[in-house]
Amino acid sequence: MSTSAETAPHPSSGMTSDMSARTLALREDAAVDRPRIDALPGERTSVEGRTQPSSNAPSATSARTLALPEDASVDGHRIDALLGWSHRFEAGMAALALGWMVVAVWRFRNAKRAASDGGTKRSRAWVFGLALSTFLVVDGALLVGSEGYLRDVLWNLQVPATDPRTVRIEINAHQWSWEARYAGEDNRFNTPDDVVTWNDLRVPAGVPVWVQLVSTDVVHGFSLPNFRVKLDAIPGRVNQTWFRAAREGTWEVACYQHCGTSHYRMRGELRALSQEAYAAWLREAGRQAVQAYDVDDSAAHWGWEWKAP
Amino acid sequence: MSLLSLDHKDVARRYLWSGLGFLLLGGLLALAIRWQWAWPGQPVPGLAWALPESRGALTPPTYTAVFTMHGLVMIFFAVTPLLFGALGHFVLPLAIGARGLAFPRLSALGYWIYALGGVLVLASFAVRLGPASAGWTAYPPLSTSAFTPGLGQTLVTVAVLCAGTSAFTYGLNFVVTVARCRAPGMTWGRLPLTVWGLFFASVLNVLFVPVLAAATALLLMDRLLGTQFFIAGAAAVGGGGDPVVYQHLFWLFGHPEVYILILPAWGMVGDLVAFFSRKPAHGYRLTAGAMGTVSALSGLVYAHHLFTSGMSPLLGRTFMVLTLLISLPAEVMFLNWLMTLWRGSVRLTSPMLAALATMVVFGLGGITGLALGAVATDVPLHGTLWVVGHFHLTMGAASFLGVFAGLYFWFPKMFGRALHEGLAKVHVLSSAVLFLGVFGGQLAAGYAGQLRRLYDPYQYTYLKHLLPLNQWTTVCAFLLGAVQVVFVVNLVWTLRRGRAAEANPWQVGTLEWTCASSPPGEGNFTQVPVVLRGPHALSQPEVLERLGRDWIGQAEVLPGVARQDTTEEAVPASEGTVSTVRSVT
Ligand code: HEM
Ligand SMILES: [Cu+2]
Ligand SMILES: [Cu+2]
Repeated sequence: MSTSAETAPHPSSGMTSDMSARTLALREDAAVDRPRIDALPGERTSVEGRTQPSSNAPSATSARTLALPEDASVDGHRIDALLGWSHRFEAGMAALALGWMVVAVWRFRNAKRAASDGGTKRSRAWVFGLALSTFLVVDGALLVGSEGYLRDVLWNLQVPATDPRTVRIEINAHQWSWEARYAGEDNRFNTPDDVVTWNDLRVPAGVPVWVQLVSTDVVHGFSLPNFRVKLDAIPGRVNQTWFRAAREGTWEVACYQHCGTSHYRMRGELRALSQEAYAAWLREAGRQAVQAYDVDDSAAHWGWEWKAP
Repeated sequence: MSLLSLDHKDVARRYLWSGLGFLLLGGLLALAIRWQWAWPGQPVPGLAWALPESRGALTPPTYTAVFTMHGLVMIFFAVTPLLFGALGHFVLPLAIGARGLAFPRLSALGYWIYALGGVLVLASFAVRLGPASAGWTAYPPLSTSAFTPGLGQTLVTVAVLCAGTSAFTYGLNFVVTVARCRAPGMTWGRLPLTVWGLFFASVLNVLFVPVLAAATALLLMDRLLGTQFFIAGAAAVGGGGDPVVYQHLFWLFGHPEVYILILPAWGMVGDLVAFFSRKPAHGYRLTAGAMGTVSALSGLVYAHHLFTSGMSPLLGRTFMVLTLLISLPAEVMFLNWLMTLWRGSVRLTSPMLAALATMVVFGLGGITGLALGAVATDVPLHGTLWVVGHFHLTMGAASFLGVFAGLYFWFPKMFGRALHEGLAKVHVLSSAVLFLGVFGGQLAAGYAGQLRRLYDPYQYTYLKHLLPLNQWTTVCAFLLGAVQVVFVVNLVWTLRRGRAAEANPWQVGTLEWTCASSPPGEGNFTQVPVVLRGPHALSQPEVLERLGRDWIGQAEVLPGVARQDTTEEAVPASEGTVSTVRSVT
């Protein structure tokens, strides 16, 4: 196989235990021909008009293997609860099916005689009835639970649209980073006071954050595992979603659609700040952005007029 | 057996060897992925010859090629060819009492088109920039030449077109064969469930493989001719197209494809469970109907793969309801299998163990898919290893075990020799347990948030703690690979010096076991059988009484009974009432 357009990470001993060493080794080798501005912990790059994450690593609290990622959103618990129910159903159905099978095999193994019929009307009706009731209970619960979440949260853009405190962010996904645009003081996108960040989302805790998402190259997937947010970034269209951070802290942004060689490094950070800290940051970053604004840098003016829901 | 023979059994054997070869390739690629997640960046044992620059370690571009080729090889070149190409080609005509497929030339041609695709796949590993690397889904724009310029991506896209063409040809062939070439008396209600499964799956092949062909052909034009059907964004010049259209086309094929991969296995499970419970399948019509309903719905649920693509709420809700709906017929079918065991006389032969194992892994796979069918619960799980675990349990483990259920069952018929039962059982049981280990581990990692297709998942802080879990999963995967040696040993040994198979080793009544020799000669039957009853006439009191055995051939006349054929298409008297049963002892 001759796929190696680039050399391999140098396998050094103790790599698996030392994540960041390996991470950096890979970083040097990736064939990337655009400026790399990543949000690796401990790294700080400054680009005019763009703020970079500072050095504290994302909070990795509940790190239980068999649990969902920690939920840091206001509404995500509804999904988690529904998943909890779905697990109970799953366990029940698995126990029923496997238990039945084991008992049947154990009890009827090499039995002297076997029934000669393919079931009676009654037994067939019973099968259908059991299937139907399982279906109604399990699928019904999932459908109703899901529908509630869709109606109230996922597809209810009325919440961010009507809340005056809503923070709007335009995100431009590209190989291999997340560029985020904030409207700045004037509340309009694609103006000189827009704040643009790389792999560094900042949001105030507790208020709706409304995201509109595009991609300029290939399909990417914008996900916030700790906020139960997932949305494709697809060239040629603007997708939107919204969420609310429940508390302050730092979490990760992950790309979930295969988008090329360095897909696995399309990582960003999301910081939920207090509302005051957020406002202060935005004001300061906007001021710097105005100073650094370059009319001729058309590539930097990728923002768009906010789309109505 | 000449390579040019048009006999369906020879074509089947060709598919069998090629399919097993690609299964090996796909399996090795899977192990490379698993290695990378357990010991990221470390040299893969035994790979240094292929990747000298990195001394055998996977690099990010190699890794993308590896998972892409694993998926494509498994689906298009290993499992489908084994289920349809090998088992389908071999069993279908025999089981319905036909002398061959409706279009023998087409079936031979289909194999050669598939083989051409296989050669292209292998060749793609040797070209500069390696084979395809845009994922088995090959979403544009990533899969277009601006982002994946290598020749390999083009070769593999053509290879997929070849595999699709061959799938279409045997799909068509099977549909026509079942519709037109059944032996007299082989009514639809007397078809073995295996034939029902193959039939429905073939209908799906005929309907949906052309959709894949269309999407793939348009993609090729985007790659080679500068069209822009699926290109948008910076790479589009003036207007451009829409990548989402490709996604819809792809999944309009892709979802039925997962049923194509499992329907034959469902059918076999239905038959095997009945055979080895020594009683008729419970609710035969209900089961066949359930398979039909699933097939009918399969083209209407596909967009559950696109719940996060920004679909309109109307579409999202519609596909959610339709998706959940499909679990009803699946449950009916599953309960019928369980009911078949009940009050039977269960014989744990190797095919039966494989069938039961298929039920277990398929059951778990189905159950873990429920949460993916509802939009809200799909959000945290979409694109994670939960999905990977779910679809591997169903179309990976279940189809794989289904293939082996069929192979262990029909091997004596195919080759006239009996495999070693003990080794077969060890192989089936250890594979099943290890499958649960591997895909259970993937489900767990996915639930904890591990995203698919990540070269190094531990770049993410929130995934770092999953390393030990992934290492255990990888150990299971390597053990799974290792126990396949048991099968290979059994196969090679049996073909060399295995004992001759008995005429009807499993003591069942279907036509291939009761009316044809092992292996069947040219034309299958000395005389076309006249079918008198359904496929599962087991433990019938009058048969026990008159013949002293618990089975009777589908075409065997019960002594002392003038005619049991109660259906309207009774054989004209002139043909005589003696059907062509090769008497089996
Ligand atoms: C035999 C044991 C197998 C193991 C250990 C295995 C393992 C894996 C792993 C680790 C991945 C990568 C998941 C990802 O990152 O997306 C994968 C992907 C995949 N596997 Fe398997 N697999 C096995 C068998 C199969 C079989 C039998 C099939 C098909 C019938 C199959 C179909 C696929 C597909 C379609 C993908 C997705 C490829 C892509 O993302 O483009 N696998 N498998
Ligand atoms: Cu990406
Ligand atoms: Cu699907």
